[in-house]
Amino acid sequence: MEKLLKELQHADLHRQTRRHFLQSAGFGLGALGLGSLLGSCDSSGKKTIGEQTAQARIPQFAPKAKRVIYIHMAGAPSQLELFDYKPELEKYHGKDCPAEFLEGKKFAFIQGVPKMLGPQGKFAQYGQSGAWMSDYVPYLQTVADEITFMKAMHTDQFNHAPAQLLMHTGSARLGRPSLGAWAVYGLGSENQNLPGFIVLASGGRQPDAGKSVYGSGFLPSVYQGVQCRTGGDPVLYVTDPNGMNRNMRKQTIEAINEINRQTYEDVQDPEILTRISQYEMAFRMQMSVPEVMDVSREPQFIMDMYGVKPGEGTFAMNCLLARKLIENDVRFVQLFDWGWDGHGTSAGDNVEGGLRNKCRLSDKPIAALIQDLKMRGLLEETLIVWGAEFGRTPMQENRNGLVMPYMGRDHHLDAFTMWMTGGGVKKGFSHGQTDELGYYGVKDRVHVHDLQATILHLMGFDHEKFTYPFQGRNFRLTDTAGKVVKEVIA
Amino acid sequence: MNNRILIGIGVLIVFISSFSWVQDWLGRKVDYNTEVKPILNKHCMSCHGGVKKAGDVSFLFEHEMLEPGKSGKIPVVRGHADESEMIRRILSNDPDEKMPKNGAPLNDNEISILKKWINEGAKWETHWSYKRIEKPQVPALGNFWNLYGLFDSENKNWVKNEIDYFVLQKLKEKKLDVSPEADKATLIRRVSLDITGLPPTQKEVSEFMQDESPDAYEKVVDRLLKSPAYGERWTSMWMDLARYADTKGYESDGGRMMWPYRDYVVKSFNEDKPFDRFTIEQLAGDLLEKDNEGFPKEQNLVATAFHRNTMTNNEGGTDDEEFRTAAQIDRVNTTWEVWQGTTFACIQCHSHPYDPIPHEDYYKYMAFFNNSRDEDVWDEWPKLRFYKGEDSARVERVKNWIRKYDPKQIAEKTEFMRVMEPKINAHNFIKGDQSTALLISYYGVKDKGNARISNVDLTGVGSIVMNMSTKAENAMLTFHLDKLDGPVISTIKVPARDTVLVAPVSSVSGKHDVYLSLKSPKSPEEWVRITWVSFQQALPGAEQPDYKQIVADYASVLTKSTESMPVIWEGKNDFARKTNVFVRGNWMVKGAEVKPDVPKLLAPMPKDYSRDRLGLAKWIVSRDNALTGRVIVNRFWEQLFGRGIVETVEDFGSQGSEPSHPELLDWLAVQFMEQDHWSVKKLLKRIVMSATYRQSSKSDKERIEKDPYNVWISRGPRVRLSAEQVRDQALACSGLISRKMYGPSVMPPQPDKIWQSPYSGESWVVSEGPDRYRRGIYTYWKRTAPYPSMTTFDAPSREFCQSRRILTNTPLQALVTLNDPVYLEAAEKLATTMKKQGKTPEQQLSEGYRMLTFQPIAPKNLNVLVKIYKEALGVYRNKPSEVDSILTYAKEKSPELAALTVSANVLLNLDNVITKE
Repeated sequence: MEKLLKELQHADLHRQTRRHFLQSAGFGLGALGLGSLLGSCDSSGKKTIGEQTAQARIPQFAPKAKRVIYIHMAGAPSQLELFDYKPELEKYHGKDCPAEFLEGKKFAFIQGVPKMLGPQGKFAQYGQSGAWMSDYVPYLQTVADEITFMKAMHTDQFNHAPAQLLMHTGSARLGRPSLGAWAVYGLGSENQNLPGFIVLASGGRQPDAGKSVYGSGFLPSVYQGVQCRTGGDPVLYVTDPNGMNRNMRKQTIEAINEINRQTYEDVQDPEILTRISQYEMAFRMQMSVPEVMDVSREPQFIMDMYGVKPGEGTFAMNCLLARKLIENDVRFVQLFDWGWDGHGTSAGDNVEGGLRNKCRLSDKPIAALIQDLKMRGLLEETLIVWGAEFGRTPMQENRNGLVMPYMGRDHHLDAFTMWMTGGGVKKGFSHGQTDELGYYGVKDRVHVHDLQATILHLMGFDHEKFTYPFQGRNFRLTDTAGKVVKEVIA
Repeated sequence: MNNRILIGIGVLIVFISSFSWVQDWLGRKVDYNTEVKPILNKHCMSCHGGVKKAGDVSFLFEHEMLEPGKSGKIPVVRGHADESEMIRRILSNDPDEKMPKNGAPLNDNEISILKKWINEGAKWETHWSYKRIEKPQVPALGNFWNLYGLFDSENKNWVKNEIDYFVLQKLKEKKLDVSPEADKATLIRRVSLDITGLPPTQKEVSEFMQDESPDAYEKVVDRLLKSPAYGERWTSMWMDLARYADTKGYESDGGRMMWPYRDYVVKSFNEDKPFDRFTIEQLAGDLLEKDNEGFPKEQNLVATAFHRNTMTNNEGGTDDEEFRTAAQIDRVNTTWEVWQGTTFACIQCHSHPYDPIPHEDYYKYMAFFNNSRDEDVWDEWPKLRFYKGEDSARVERVKNWIRKYDPKQIAEKTEFMRVMEPKINAHNFIKGDQSTALLISYYGVKDKGNARISNVDLTGVGSIVMNMSTKAENAMLTFHLDKLDGPVISTIKVPARDTVLVAPVSSVSGKHDVYLSLKSPKSPEEWVRITWVSFQQALPGAEQPDYKQIVADYASVLTKSTESMPVIWEGKNDFARKTNVFVRGNWMVKGAEVKPDVPKLLAPMPKDYSRDRLGLAKWIVSRDNALTGRVIVNRFWEQLFGRGIVETVEDFGSQGSEPSHPELLDWLAVQFMEQDHWSVKKLLKRIVMSATYRQSSKSDKERIEKDPYNVWISRGPRVRLSAEQVRDQALACSGLISRKMYGPSVMPPQPDKIWQSPYSGESWVVSEGPDRYRRGIYTYWKRTAPYPSMTTFDAPSREFCQSRRILTNTPLQALVTLNDPVYLEAAEKLATTMKKQGKTPEQQLSEGYRMLTFQPIAPKNLNVLVKIYKEALGVYRNKPSEVDSILTYAKEKSPELAALTVSANVLLNLDNVITKE
């Protein structure tokens, strides 16, 4: 079985680079000219030659989510201020943390006996489903009935980088493929003009674990996430050099391909045909990437709905771009927003003002994204995942045993909240429960690997069978663990 | 008897035995490795192998298949298929019994092979790659095929050396033909790129073209092997294996000084250091011969940085022991992958699923590495320190003093000044009151705080050497024996600056717990940070008048932050570690203690080898190691042909691919080890001198159909250039390249905002002057944000060892060579030369094509170039402002040069330019 799989992988790699050209070379060449390319340069790209950057494997069962938008709030916002309402914690506010919470525990910064910290938001129930949410997220309240909350998430890592890696690659160590890479490896790309896995980052910094959280690990590099940037070239080197206009670029690519075709005639290496088509794709990307990244043709009401102005490199802009990418059949859109690490050391990083401010910048566009996709009939087959690498402690952080200048919470791995909506998940549902102080999950806990198994399931893959052989082992996203959370599936 | 008749009979036998039914008729037995093992791997091993042993039945080891399972029945009864439970279960119709339980049933052919195998005695055999390498006969020398003219005369002329006979034999079997030798220009470009990573110069090409002598090609090969560029090219292969990077990895991914190791590799290849020696230095350089101060040779120590390329985690709250262990595991996995071509990682958690290597063997092997002193501390000790100027004079003063007053101490103090070992890292302190961890790895203590240092051997100790820093004023640190309030053995006034201090300690013997305690009433809230402590003999000559000065020199040398690089340093005695099996790979669940040993699967370690890394390294490169020779030869072959004789260069186990030319592989390996004494240059020369290598890479319908991936090498290799080569070639052909060698890594231009690590003040500062144009191997390698154009062309991020770069062909690569300013600068520079070299555009364009491919341009292609040139010229004549935009560097700003630059941009993107033909 393994040997066979490995052979399949190899055959597949060859196919990617050589594809069906062997068969079609005889009659297909003429049609591959730039003329055909230019005739099909609408940014949807569906009409172009029938080949894909990444060929799809057949899903193991019918996918409910054909596309994914994964919103990661890097640094980890506090669930206790947003979704996990704990009135009891209010009563304990300012009191010493019970010893049972501290025994044998390790925290990133908390030392000695910290004080408990009551919730800072005002909570109420919203929608038909009666979902608990705080006044930090007034816009999300309006779409409460679209969402499934998982309130007893837990992880193994309490530092940002390893926890982010665990969340996105299934392992706390570097070197494994990310969820998006697995998705494109599994389902292929549906758009010939855009990469299948696109990453947008905001908040001024990359996620702590760097590119590895959207890397291809040991999968071939074609599956890695391509970061589209909001400043400079949206994709590296996608812009023509100064002094070379579009028409000239078209002619240079025509010239390159014409001479390459001649080389093919001489040496018959099918790799050359792939190269020709990739130069055509590059040319199309040069148009389609800036086009899809350009929001100037969006109507004003949409801009208002997301709360963006043209030219901004904000999280809100990335939400709008995510919708455009999904509309253009990009398989996996990963959003990172940096700056959610509310320790309480400064005016920016606390669970009171700082978190409120981050929510102010992200709440409206997230709600807009859900509504916008719904409006366009895309939400049904697009899965949106929101969350972070871990949660925050019910205790107030006391770094170095000191009283902190602001209200802050330390990293917490035993309980946090994530939510999903769209493609195949229940609407207006809450899964899992934490204890009365929000420290541990007491019912329906969901581990990171369970979440990953569930996302893969929604995309049509059995996480235990969706593997790739590397260093003598069949690796999978969920490592050796993970159970599909059936309860959240519609 | 008549020889002819004998030969005739021989031919007849060879002929008829090629029919398998005849072989059966002649009594050919089932072969375990090629026939049985694949069936077991496919159908049985995932439940009855190294991971699971369902029903207590396994086919991993010979003895296991002969033992009764849980049911009491014996899976394999030798000689009796009918009595074997395995066969009964496979044939059973009862769904509860039928095997395989969940998979597809075996087909009739598979069943009959298994039955026949058991009936023939179920002979067990070692996988081919685990058997000692024996030198096979070269087909030409002892084979009827050749003697009887089955190699036709044309092929006889084609053959250049032994390699070709092996290849030819396979081609005949596959009914494929050889290709003629590539034309001279193609050949010199191919061999230059392969041996030096750089294209030839115009002069080198024209000399070769004009050289009609029979050894013209050999002269080129010899010249290339002597070129300093040779070492750089092969270093770029080795860097992926060594997971070389200029940063530590993980979240903060800060810089570290590793480049002296890279330079060591370049020099080792250039001086053709025998590969066995090269291996031993990297794995055990610190244990090799010592100088008269008892210290290893500096270059040997630099070599050990091979295994300090593991990552170090500086993120807050991480457990140093966890990441120290992760580094050890990486060392085991990397050593196995690089030299043994075996994926060992799976054995970390359980026995190998398919190859007979038990779980414990992993940890026995890890025990060889586990004594290295590094403990994932922030500053990455142990590091080799390089002293300069006044510091180096101080070091000499201290040494001279010791030589004069107590030469026995010279080794201890030299060791400490050069690598600052052995010492107790402060993360090992047992924290008491008012204590914390600072900078993850270090110990912080405040007023009235204390800690315990366990089990210190104080015999002969006369001083405490320690590193501390604080802002506290007048803090006093005292050391107590055995108890918190035990006798005071040393009192230290804590200096208010970061320093290494040397303090006397009362003479005590035996092993004791030492308690430290701090009094800091003046600044009770200030932390005192201790990073490490070392208990040493006091410097000798205490009665001499200059003693204080010498102690001060010693402390000052240790305080100075010198250039220093991480190296491997063996911990001895109290600093040696025990190694335990990790139960199911979990480092926190320790199983039985193990002693260092090599897996039983391979030849045992000779008795006289030391049971340490040095012994291990010697075992790896011993003649009896079945894997090393094959694996290494295969790596170099893969680099030249784009595909290894064993395609899975990283896996020679039963899950890897079978060798396409097994005899050739073994023959090359034996030649390499015995004849060439591990000389890589001789190996490479042997390969590139073969007719096999020199073939034209042109293909045709028939070849593509019969052998699409050129497994049988009926044509020369045609492979896209590597990431480094794409860059180096553009710089070289345009004349921009700097051939400066060695030194710190450089930062050629890259787009903004590539580096955005949190918590790191480091930034990409674009190198000036020649450093902008150096070869790819000198580019600064940051693990979390590698140089973008390199990764686009499939370079790995170097977090872990990677044996193969799987070549992709993507639009992002096109965007790099079309639009990256590096390639536009190259185009402009190329255009400037083209313009000088020709009068007409036709001449200039032809010249540009020749500068990159060394070939005359076909008229049809020239027309294409002329067309784009004229189009561009028209545009630039109409819009002179565009000329200034496209031309950034040239003094001359003419529409003609601009149009030539556009043409050169086309040339640099041609398939035959970015491909080795």
